[in-house]
Amino acid sequence: MSDLKLTGLHKHYGTYHAVKGIDLEVPSGEFTVLVGPSGCGKSTLLRTIAGLEEASAGTVEIGGKNVTWARPRDRDIAMVFQNYALYPYLNVYENIAFGLRARRVASTQIDKRVKRAADMLGIAQLLDRFPRELSGGQRQRVAIGRAIVRDALLFLFDEPLSNLDAQLRDDMRVEIKRLHHELGRTIIYVTHDQIEAMTLADRIALLRDGRIEQLGTPLDLFERPATRFVAGFLGSPKMNFLSATIEAGEVILRDGTRLPLPAARNAINGQAVVLGLRPQHIAKAGASAAPGHAQLAATVELVQPTGSRVQVNIPLGGISITAEFAAHEVTTPGEQVRIDIDMTRAVLIDPQTDKVI
Amino acid sequence: MTAIAHPDRNFKYWLISPAIFLLLLVGLFPLIFSLVVSFMRVTMLETDTSFAGLANYAQLFHDARLWQSLLHTVLIMVIALPVELLLGLAMAYLFLDRLPGRQLLVSLLVLPTIISPIVAGATWRLLFDNRYGPINQIIGWFAGHPVPALWTVNPGLVYPAIIFCEIWQWTPFMFLILLAALSNVDRSLTEAAEIDGARFWRSFRYVVLPAIFPVMSIAILIRGLDLFRIFDIIWALTAGGPGTMTETISVYTYVQGFRQFETSYTAAIAFLVIALLTVIVTWAIRRMGLAK
Amino acid sequence: MKGVPFHRRKETKLVLRYLIAAFLVVIFVFPIYWLFAISFKTPAEIFAFPPVWYPKSIQFNNYAVLFKDGDAKTVGNSLVLASVSTLFAMIFGTIAAYSLVRFKTGGENLAVWIISQRMMPPVAIAFPIFLFYVWLGWVDTYIGLIILYTAFSLPYVIWMMRGYIEEIPLELEESALIDGCNRWEVLWKVVLPMARSGLFATAVFTFVFSWNDFLFALILTRTEVMTYTVQVTHYFGGQSNFWSKIAAMSVLGTIPVFITVATLQRYLVRGISMGAVKG
Repeated sequence: MSDLKLTGLHKHYGTYHAVKGIDLEVPSGEFTVLVGPSGCGKSTLLRTIAGLEEASAGTVEIGGKNVTWARPRDRDIAMVFQNYALYPYLNVYENIAFGLRARRVASTQIDKRVKRAADMLGIAQLLDRFPRELSGGQRQRVAIGRAIVRDALLFLFDEPLSNLDAQLRDDMRVEIKRLHHELGRTIIYVTHDQIEAMTLADRIALLRDGRIEQLGTPLDLFERPATRFVAGFLGSPKMNFLSATIEAGEVILRDGTRLPLPAARNAINGQAVVLGLRPQHIAKAGASAAPGHAQLAATVELVQPTGSRVQVNIPLGGISITAEFAAHEVTTPGEQVRIDIDMTRAVLIDPQTDKVI
Repeated sequence: MTAIAHPDRNFKYWLISPAIFLLLLVGLFPLIFSLVVSFMRVTMLETDTSFAGLANYAQLFHDARLWQSLLHTVLIMVIALPVELLLGLAMAYLFLDRLPGRQLLVSLLVLPTIISPIVAGATWRLLFDNRYGPINQIIGWFAGHPVPALWTVNPGLVYPAIIFCEIWQWTPFMFLILLAALSNVDRSLTEAAEIDGARFWRSFRYVVLPAIFPVMSIAILIRGLDLFRIFDIIWALTAGGPGTMTETISVYTYVQGFRQFETSYTAAIAFLVIALLTVIVTWAIRRMGLAK
Repeated sequence: MKGVPFHRRKETKLVLRYLIAAFLVVIFVFPIYWLFAISFKTPAEIFAFPPVWYPKSIQFNNYAVLFKDGDAKTVGNSLVLASVSTLFAMIFGTIAAYSLVRFKTGGENLAVWIISQRMMPPVAIAFPIFLFYVWLGWVDTYIGLIILYTAFSLPYVIWMMRGYIEEIPLELEESALIDGCNRWEVLWKVVLPMARSGLFATAVFTFVFSWNDFLFALILTRTEVMTYTVQVTHYFGGQSNFWSKIAAMSVLGTIPVFITVATLQRYLVRGISMGAVKG
């Protein structure tokens, strides 16, 4: 059974077409992340699901009911907002209880549920405080508490961590993942942060320009991107893209470098392609090349240590590409190294369509 | 972003309709009514309601008393407004820095503004009394002999009296608004100007003035319009006299409508004033971006 | 308003500034003092030459006369008219402002039109309204003046409340909508509490405007709902022994305003500056 089903959803703002035909079905209990660059329509999509924006065309079904024209409060959803949306004139307890009071839940029941939610989030000692007396992380917990206390069918998160500092963001990410396991509820989560998307999602819907570019598990999208955009959006450091042509079962780069053609790709002889190489798939060469790998000599241009790893810029195919080595494998620019490129995990893209071959 | 879903689509109209209804009642209705009646020949003393064409409007142009009253209004405005502005600004500067008991002093200074203009007029009527009022008494101290000035009767003194009262009542309004505006000026800007060696006037001209200008122009607009419709203070002090010497546009309209009972002619004046002000004000509001 | 010095000044400058400030306060407060003083003076003191600067003893005879004659009832009329119209203006004005801010109802044109109504000269409006009220039989009735005061206060209320409502984060309202509130509940449970200080500041000024009105009351009241401002002018021009009445009536009409303003003072400075700054 699916908790959320979108069919042919469109959203126009005057002449601006923000959401251009989204079809999406989210199975019960799944954690789905809507990710994409700013302006891709992900927040608009979430707000349309919530009923805060009116759909221009298409339908929204929640829990099997068509709610396209229903009020937000009749959709059985709870939402966590980017800026927490806490009422400054109510204390933490009343903030969490707000939705239950609005729905006329009995006060003994409210008390039980508020306290349970507070315990779950570790904010039981803060119930008498006011939002202005809380830290950013605590406010975010209260905001999440206010959503989970509602026990809704569908939980919507709109970039909930983007106002927190890096350390806190990591902590809260773990917290949200744990809550999902405990509650087992369906979650739709919007973020522009690909790491949040990769770590939290059961499934990622990568949006671009009002459309879903690719839908799948995080590993699917990472390993088998459907388009150049997906390949470039996920992964850090970013994937390297090199212009090349296919000749006689080999990939020929601009500077004449020949690389083995990955197996099972229907590339036509003589076709121009874009070769996508993830920095993680370029390593310092070992004794001998594994099948499908290529080994080359190169001169290091730039070295950026990140702690456990080191990012290295090396010239290849007429441009400077990024590779990621283990720390201390390379230390200084100008160093001569042999690199090993895992061509079995390389991506070939048709430059005409930007689709992966 | 507008956030409104289908079932609540009419909610926004429910919210605004009572206000619109009431505003039409006092805004549009008088305008249309004045327009219609101004083309007729209605007075409250006769029952003639025949069509008069543009006769009433033609009369406007030949009504010397009307143009005189307009002149009086403008005269009061062009003297009182700059004085209120400059005095208010100077006072705001005076109170900008730390000053013991500032809160109390500011509260006391604001008192004239919150009392009724009619009470203000009445108060100054008592103050200006030629024999029992303290003003002549105080002037007498400086002059060295008793001064029996007839402030509300003497043609040479009525305007000073009116303008005095007006300035006394409304300078605190300017003062309070400009004090708030000056307090909001980013101090790092004026300090930067000082470090750059800017004198007070330069810093004021190029840093402070641009910062307070939006607020100041709103205050000028509000006070300017209030001065244009000045009625209460004059009614209390001179009632337009001596003769028609201090009759302003509001006083004249009142006299035409409620003393002379010239219904149609008053309607023509009212229409002219409303139409004129609507155009000027709408232009000013758009120009100043107030509706944004 | 912070007390951080704009320009560093020496102590002597402070003393000088203090002297000027004190002088200004004396000038601006003296007329009000004089009004109060007269209201407590005996006729002999009022008409003494040279003037007596303060009453020898506080006596309330001038006020007692107003109550005995029933003139003091006009203060009650003012109170009813000003408070009821303020209440209505606040209700209708706030929801209209909310509609303008949140849903951009009518676009910029409607907002401009509403603000421009704030600028209308009362006398130009009062004349047609008077003829209309004669026809309706509303002259000298509470309902007639309350409707007029309400309508005349609306542009101000809408203007001010727009500024306050714009400051409320949209998320708070959206969150309430999702949590189970309907539109009216959002207004009641989120918007009003968030705009609380703005509501108070605006209500005070609205009350003072209506309370201080003279022209509408002059034209539209006769005896039944005559306001204190009209009553004061009835003592003009008569014999000079009406001085005590002018003063006492004025003081009666001024004290409620002073009390209101003093009680809600902490909302006012913000109210004035906000209204001006936000436009």
